[in-house]
Amino acid sequence: MSLESYCANIVDRINTGVLILDLDYNIVMWNRFLQVHSNKSTENVIDKSVFDVFPELPRRWFERKLSSVIELNTQSFCSWEQRHHLFELPHTRPITTDSVYMAQNCTFLPVLDDSKITNICLLIEDVTDVYHYQTKLNTVLEQLALSNRIDGLTQIFNRKHWEECLAKEFSRARRYDHGLALIMFDLDCFKLLNDTFGHQGGDKVLIKVASLVQTLLRACDIFGRYGGEEFAIILPETDLTGALDVAERVRRSIAEMIVEFQDEIIHASVSVGVAVINPADTRYEDLISNTDIALYKAKNAGRNKVFAINELDEFV
Amino acid sequence: MSNFNLTEDQQDCLQELINVAMGQASDQLARYLDTFVYLKVPSIEQVSSQSLIGTLNPSDTTVAVVSQGFFGYEGIRGEALLIYQPKDSDKLADLLGYEPDELSVEEQIIDLSSILTTTFLNVFASQIENQMSYSAPRLLASHKGAISEHIEQQSYNWDLALKVKITYQVTDYSFNCDMVLLIPESAIVNITDVLDRILASF
Repeated sequence: MSLESYCANIVDRINTGVLILDLDYNIVMWNRFLQVHSNKSTENVIDKSVFDVFPELPRRWFERKLSSVIELNTQSFCSWEQRHHLFELPHTRPITTDSVYMAQNCTFLPVLDDSKITNICLLIEDVTDVYHYQTKLNTVLEQLALSNRIDGLTQIFNRKHWEECLAKEFSRARRYDHGLALIMFDLDCFKLLNDTFGHQGGDKVLIKVASLVQTLLRACDIFGRYGGEEFAIILPETDLTGALDVAERVRRSIAEMIVEFQDEIIHASVSVGVAVINPADTRYEDLISNTDIALYKAKNAGRNKVFAINELDEFV
Repeated sequence: MSNFNLTEDQQDCLQELINVAMGQASDQLARYLDTFVYLKVPSIEQVSSQSLIGTLNPSDTTVAVVSQGFFGYEGIRGEALLIYQPKDSDKLADLLGYEPDELSVEEQIIDLSSILTTTFLNVFASQIENQMSYSAPRLLASHKGAISEHIEQQSYNWDLALKVKITYQVTDYSFNCDMVLLIPESAIVNITDVLDRILASF
């Protein structure tokens, strides 16, 4: 067997599509891989325009891509990550993946004759498998990132993520001299509630409080579970009046809230502390401390109350 | 860990080869992109794996790094990194001659990277009577934190690399990017062999 027939034999048996075009985009040659997958007969393809045989090709893009190969005499690439496929071909995992068409990595090679470009060779690799597993991996990574931010019980942000958000919002407010308010609230006598109704009753109250408060907030407000029965809300671009308004709505809504638990009705209330960013605050922790002080004032004043510290560190 | 400091002659020879390649590459790019492309005088230095991230100097605003491997005869091989800033990506589709809705920004960045890398290295390879092949370009990361993380998390199996940094400027599109060629330790001796051969032929 001659070397040429060895090569021809191999080209026809590899699991990569080989398509050779002339400089006018007509098909000069293709291999068995493409013939089988596209299910077209070779005689209907040779000497035809690649755009007629594969009308799904994005023509303008394809022509510009080939022009870089021709003018710069260099190879070019097209990955499934940016473009899932160029050619609408079936693939080898139709049963066990959800990909309609074969995901492809394509390489465009200049073919030279005596250092002059005469043709362009396209190599088309089936990477449906890679696509499938990478997509699954990305989904898992997204879920992981989400569960890393979310409190499992209440489905709002957990302490760690909430605090990271506060650090960002704090430095943003400092940099642009914008307003920033913080609300922290704590369920009153939560231990007693747990002792009376059991931890499942307590959990139900926490879940209900979280979902209720979420409905009272703007999209830009950042709501998280700070500790056991303590919650916190970051209010960007908000002054004391605005924050007090939100805090009062939170207090009243929870006081009016009814939680049904095992044929019993649970009532709850919260004490709320409010503070706004203070010129003297250098770290976001200072803002938390001020809010905390206001919260304890509210608790000591008999619970189910809102207390605030304004930017002059005075209670209102 | 070996030290592969190039001799002064080798360094000059490499610098000259790169200068010539830059000239021809910028000419080809100007024709293809239909605008002037300036390439700044390259810096050639040796970097350790520990100092790599520092010398790449991704700023807070770096948006993308694209990697593309290259390999040729005589054991010449390495990895090209293209580093982009955000303002650079605004008019890329226009620069490349595509309609913006024809391809994503990521694809534009990858496409341009491949064009810059292969055009330069093809000319460079022909200078040393070699021929390059390339892997498909890959977007390593598309924002700064991820880039530092990506590079810092690796435990490298190399200590030193030869680093060649070339800055591309396309003033009509107020576009800049850095191309950093990194030749791993194991391939540097092959480069110096080639340089010695060229020096001997003069």
